[in-house]
Amino acid sequence: MNTFKKIAAFTIAATVALAACKKDSNNNADTTNPEDVKKGIVTDLATNVIMATYDDMSAKADNLASTVSAFNAQPTDANLTSCRVAWLTVRQAWERSEGFLFGPVATNNIDPRIDTWPVNYQSLDSVLANNQTYTDSYIESLEDALRGFHPLEYLLFGQDGKKKVAAFNQREFDYMAALSQNLKKLCAQAATDWHNGFRADFTAPGNATYATQREVYEELVNAIAGICDEVANGKIKEPYDLKDPSLEESPFAANSIKDFADNIQSVANIYYGKYTADGRGLEDFVKLYNLSLHNKIAQQIQAATNSLVNVTLPFGQAITQQPTQVQNAIDAINTLKETLETELLPLVQANTK
Amino acid sequence: MQKHHSKIYVLLALGVLYASLAFQACNKPEPLTESDRNEWYSGGNQTVFVSGSGAYSQSFPLLTEQKEEIHEVGDVGFEAVFNSDPNQLNYGLGPLFNNVSCASCHVGDGRGKAPEAGEALSSLLIRISIPGVGAHGSPNPVPGFGGQLQQKGILGAAPEATVNVAYTEQTYTFPDGEAYTLRKPIYTLTAPYQALPSGLMISPRMASPVFGLGLLEAVSEADIMALSDVDDANGDGISGKPNRVWNVEKQSFTLGRFGWKAGQPTVIQQSAGAYNEDMGVTSFIFPVESTHGQPQGVLATGKKEISDSVLFTVAYYVRTLAVPGRRKADDATVQHGKALFKQVGCTNCHNAMFTTQTNVAAPEFSNHTIFPYTDMLLHDMGEGLADNRPEFDADGYEWRTPPLWGIGLTKAVNGHNNFLHDGRARNFIEAIMWHAGEAETAKNKFATLSKANRTAIIKFLESL
Repeated sequence: MNTFKKIAAFTIAATVALAACKKDSNNNADTTNPEDVKKGIVTDLATNVIMATYDDMSAKADNLASTVSAFNAQPTDANLTSCRVAWLTVRQAWERSEGFLFGPVATNNIDPRIDTWPVNYQSLDSVLANNQTYTDSYIESLEDALRGFHPLEYLLFGQDGKKKVAAFNQREFDYMAALSQNLKKLCAQAATDWHNGFRADFTAPGNATYATQREVYEELVNAIAGICDEVANGKIKEPYDLKDPSLEESPFAANSIKDFADNIQSVANIYYGKYTADGRGLEDFVKLYNLSLHNKIAQQIQAATNSLVNVTLPFGQAITQQPTQVQNAIDAINTLKETLETELLPLVQANTK
Repeated sequence: MQKHHSKIYVLLALGVLYASLAFQACNKPEPLTESDRNEWYSGGNQTVFVSGSGAYSQSFPLLTEQKEEIHEVGDVGFEAVFNSDPNQLNYGLGPLFNNVSCASCHVGDGRGKAPEAGEALSSLLIRISIPGVGAHGSPNPVPGFGGQLQQKGILGAAPEATVNVAYTEQTYTFPDGEAYTLRKPIYTLTAPYQALPSGLMISPRMASPVFGLGLLEAVSEADIMALSDVDDANGDGISGKPNRVWNVEKQSFTLGRFGWKAGQPTVIQQSAGAYNEDMGVTSFIFPVESTHGQPQGVLATGKKEISDSVLFTVAYYVRTLAVPGRRKADDATVQHGKALFKQVGCTNCHNAMFTTQTNVAAPEFSNHTIFPYTDMLLHDMGEGLADNRPEFDADGYEWRTPPLWGIGLTKAVNGHNNFLHDGRARNFIEAIMWHAGEAETAKNKFATLSKANRTAIIKFLESL
C-alpha cells in the first residue's frame, strides 16, 4: 500500500520552493481563474466520474438481480445469456471504479465483500450442499471468498465458462439470487454513501476527512497510481510470475484482461473527467502548468491501454503463451504509474494549498 | 530532513517577526527543547507527510532497499485473505474466526469502526474469561470457548455465539452550558453453541492503528519504567503501572507494550496472537488452534498454517510503517491547544516524547526522537470505562495509555472518529469526557475551560 513513499516527505519543502513558480495561465484556452479550475475539477470528477460510476454500477447490479430472478423463473438459454451479460456489465462499472478506491467503499469494507478471489470452491460446494436458507445475514456471515462477484461468476459461467442451463439446480438458483441481492445492496450503499456525506467532504475541503484541497488532489493521484500498481504488480504479475492461472481474477468469464483494461479506463476517466458526461478532469490541472507532462501522461495512458489489447488470448493462457505481450503490459502500466507518482504527484502538491 | 525542518522553523520565526531574536539564538548551541523538535516530526526521522486514505500505510522513509522489499512482502501478507480451501494459497482460516485478513480489521492500517446498534461486528472483537487465572497468569479461559469469542466459523464449525450491541445515551452539559452526549455500549451474547458459564467477563476490543509500532517497541524498558509510579509516590494522583506479561519466545515475563491492556510484549507476539485468535491461523509462536479441545477443533488442519517467514515479514511490515507527520503544527490555535493539553494534565499519561534505543543491528529503529503521546503504562480509567476483566497485572479498571500520534487522520483514513477501547466515543470531546479515575482531575479541568480553549485542544489533537 505504499504507493508514494519517500517523495511525500518533501511536500512542505517543495511547496515552499515552488509556490512562487506558478505560471500565469491567462493565455490558456480556458480563461477561468486557475483556483476556480482546481475547484471545478474536483466537483466535476465527483459528479461526472465517481458518482456517475457508482450510480451506474448500482443500477446495473439492480438489473443483474432482476435477470437472475427471471432466469430462475424461466431457465432458458436466453435468460442465462442475459444473466451473464448483466454480470459483465456490473463488473465493468466496478472495475471502472477501482481508480478511486478511497472513501466509503474502503472505510465501509465494501471492496473486500464484493471482490475477493480466488473463489473457495470447496466451501462453495458445501454452501450449496447444506440446507441453510440463503438470507442476507447468512450471506454476510460467509467468508469473503464465498460472496460477491466471483462466486456469482463461478455459478453463472461454470468452471470452463460453458455451463449449460440443465446444469443449474434449485440450490444454485437460490444462492445466486441471494448473492445478487447482496451485491445489489452493497453497490447501492457505495453510491448512497457518496451522495449522503462523502461528496460534501470531498468537494469542500476544510473538514476532518480532507483538511485542504491539496489532500484531495493527493488522494486522487495516489488512487490512480495505486490502481496502476495493483494491476501491473498484483493482478498481472502474480499469476504471471508463478505461471499459475488459478490466481487469475475473473477466470470463469474469461474476463480478466477486460478487468485490467477497465481499471486503466478508470485512470483515464479520472484524468480526462469523463464517464459518460464529459467535464473537467486532472488533465485540466496539468494543462495549467505543464503541457509536456500532459502529453506524456496522455501518451502513456494510451500505451497502457494498447498493451492490454495486444494480449489476445484469455489471461490464463496468455501467462504461458504470450509472455512478451504480458511483460509489455506490466511495463507499460508501470511506466504510467511512475509518471503519476514522480511527476504528477509533485505537480499537484506544488500547486495546491 | 533535519535541514528542511530548520528551514521551516526559521520561516515560522520570520512570520511572527522574531527573526532577529531567532537568528541570535542560532548562534548559541542550546539543546533543542521538545517543542523545537516535535512541531512536525511525530516519528522522528521515520515520519512521512502523506495525507488522505494512505496516511497510515507508508513505509519508513529511511529503509535500505533490501529492507523495503521485506516490508513489501509483509504488506502482501497483511492483506492476504485467508480461506478454508486446501487447494488454495492462504489456506488455514478457522475453524473459528473473527475476520479473514489483517487488513479487514485494520483498514488502511488504521482503526476499527464501532458497530452501530444491532449491527454485526467487523473490526471489534470480544475477549472473554472467568474468574481466576490461566497459564502464566493470563486471563482464565472459558471452558469450551477459550479467551476470545469467535462469532464466525468455516462451514461446519458452529460460531461460538452471536454478539449484539445496543447503546444507551445520556446528555451532559459543560459548566458553560454546551451539551454533549455519551453513549455506553451494552454487549449481549446470544445463541451460544453451548451454555456460557456464570461469572463470564467480557472485554470488547477495537482494532488499533498499526503504524509506528516498531518505534514503540524500540523504546527502552528503562525509559518506560522511569515514568511508572505504581504507588503514586509523587502524590499527583497518577499511578503509571507497567504490565508484566508472558513472553512466549523468551518463556519469561517481560514488559507488556501492545494491546488495550498492554497484554502483549512484542509486535511479533501480538501479530501471532491475532493470526491465532482472530483468524484461526497457527504459527510457530502459537501452534495450537484456538478451537483446540472444542468440538469445532475437528475441522482444524493440524498444521502450522503460516510459515515463520510470513510471520516475520508481516511483523516487520507493521514495525516499519511510518508515522504520519503533523499538520498545521505552526497554527496559533493548535499551539495554544498544545500548551493547554499540557496545562490541564493530559501529558501526565499522554507523555509526549521518547527517544528510541540505540541499535546498531537495526538502524531503522535506532535513536529516533519520537512523539507518540503515550507512557506505555496502565492507568485506572474509572468505572465508566472499566471492563472489569483483569489481564496479567492490569486490573478491571486499568487500560494502557494509547498513543495519540496520527489520531487526527482517523477520519481521513477510516471515515470515522470512533475512539476508546470499544469505539464508543464518536468524536474527540466524547473520548475526553469518558476519562475518569486517574484522569478525573484533568478531565474536569478540560470541562471548565472556555469553549474556545476546549476547541483549541481538539485542534491540537487533530493536528497530531
